Amino acid sequence: MKLRATVRKAWEPALWFLGLLLIWEAAVRIFAIPGFILPAPSVFMLRIVQSAPQLAYHGMITTKLIIYGFVAGAVPGVALGYLIARYSICKQLLYPIVVFIQGLPKITLAPLMLVWFGFADFPKILLTGLITFFPVMVDSVAGFQSIDPRKYYLSKSTGASWLQTFLKIELPSAAPQIFSGLRISIVVAVTVVIVVEWLNSKTGLGYLVLRSMDGKDTSMIFATLVVGSLIGVFLSGLVQAIERALVPQGRH
Amino acid sequence: MDPQKNQGTGASIVARDITKIYGTGPDAFHALGPIDLDIKPGEFVSLIGPSGCGKSTTMLLVSGLEPISQGHVEIDGKPLTKPISEIGIVFQDHLLLDFRTAIQNVMLQQEIRKLDKADMRSRADALFEQLDLVGAEDKYPWQLSGGMRQRVSIARALVHDPSMLIMDEPFGALDAISRTQIRHDLEMLWLAKRKTVLFITHSIEEAVGLSDRVLVMSKSPGRIVEEISIDLPRPRPAHLGEYPEFAVYAKKIYTIFEKLGVYNF
Ligand SMILES: Nc1ncnc2c1ncn2[C@@H]1O[C@H](COP(=O)(O)OP(=O)(O)O)[C@@H](O)[C@H]1O
Ligand SMILES: [Mg+2]
Repeated sequence: MKLRATVRKAWEPALWFLGLLLIWEAAVRIFAIPGFILPAPSVFMLRIVQSAPQLAYHGMITTKLIIYGFVAGAVPGVALGYLIARYSICKQLLYPIVVFIQGLPKITLAPLMLVWFGFADFPKILLTGLITFFPVMVDSVAGFQSIDPRKYYLSKSTGASWLQTFLKIELPSAAPQIFSGLRISIVVAVTVVIVVEWLNSKTGLGYLVLRSMDGKDTSMIFATLVVGSLIGVFLSGLVQAIERALVPQGRH
Repeated sequence: MDPQKNQGTGASIVARDITKIYGTGPDAFHALGPIDLDIKPGEFVSLIGPSGCGKSTTMLLVSGLEPISQGHVEIDGKPLTKPISEIGIVFQDHLLLDFRTAIQNVMLQQEIRKLDKADMRSRADALFEQLDLVGAEDKYPWQLSGGMRQRVSIARALVHDPSMLIMDEPFGALDAISRTQIRHDLEMLWLAKRKTVLFITHSIEEAVGLSDRVLVMSKSPGRIVEEISIDLPRPRPAHLGEYPEFAVYAKKIYTIFEKLGVYNF
């Protein structure tokens, strides 16, 4: 019974998705839409197969940057969220800066990064980190602030050190909110990396999209986007799997 | 009663004129005291009083978890300056961590205190047996009944064998049958170890059923208005009504509460 329900849950959206692709395919053929405007699914699917090595190569580079950028944003996001939530002096010092940077359209910093750091990976990771940082930090502040203050009585009565309190009480207590920030950030990171690759790169999916655009190779653009979307789905699934493994209290 | 029998291995608790005022300025709220406490090593003392009179506050002051506004506390003759860690506390409303299973909640003591893991696990298992928690080890707090949660929290307070135990309404969420059983279990545990216990309750039956001495508190801001020694043999029976003396003690406490205006019949 339960198995059947699970299978249905997985298959129904898949069938619906397949149906959409079929409609798309039919529409392109019936209305004879030119391939450089809207390629049929069968065309860009074939393109994915044909260009698999190339897509895999650039896809891996993009994935690597997404993960580095995500970590570069998430770790300071949690750390700063903790400091702001726990120490009013940090809140007073850091919050104005944070609010200012948050208001800034950060993607526009990309040319500046290019000027400062050139075409290496570092500016891409830095920019991705800067953007993924905010959702994580905001949710971490909320998470650390909402800890039942009586939990500190418990930790003090066991003689816990600062580090033990952080690792065994505070971090796991705030984890559900931290993960809601991480789930947002990982999706944002995919977009940011691809956009940054448009601006200054000779590798990665963003570069591939740009090159295909120059060559009016629309089916390759679609093929690249499908791969980018698969990477996004995979990485957010990974974050959710980590959450399920580490955060039991969200499950009830 | 034989005074030798009461020589436990626990800590002594002495409090002089302790007072708690929460907040400052116009928000200041006088929640407790001044009160005195003199609890001997290995003694079982209950603090009974109406809700809001400052019982939980007393336990927070005595364990060093909240700063004392006035007065001072000595544990084993040493002035209290920071939270005591040589202690087991059963907090009101159990205060279990919802990201840890029952056994992990108990083993928190082992992890933080860096005690021997196998040794503590076998102590935890023994307590789970005694507290009728077998089978609940790997359940999360939200999967347990209120009574089970409270028993897990009792196991967490006992597992590291502290010299001092403070229990804040530990049987609050239990049904009458479990209450009687766990009261007996706690008494047996205490008889075996004779650690100092400060037991906070609003149940006259629990106070008389467990204590060497009952301290009766007035309404907020709480003061200790009466001290009653309970000279009943141990272990005390499930059905306390068997002792005519029980009724006498209970009546005594009721009368004090009536005089204090706790009851309004
Ligand atoms: N952190 C706090 N800040 C302000 N008032 C408090 C705080 N904790 C308790 N109080 C107040 O102090 C009084 C005594 O509380 P408490 O010690 O919890 O009573 P009891 O445990 O006897 O029910 C209550 O009126 C309560 O509202
Ligand atoms: Mg209370």
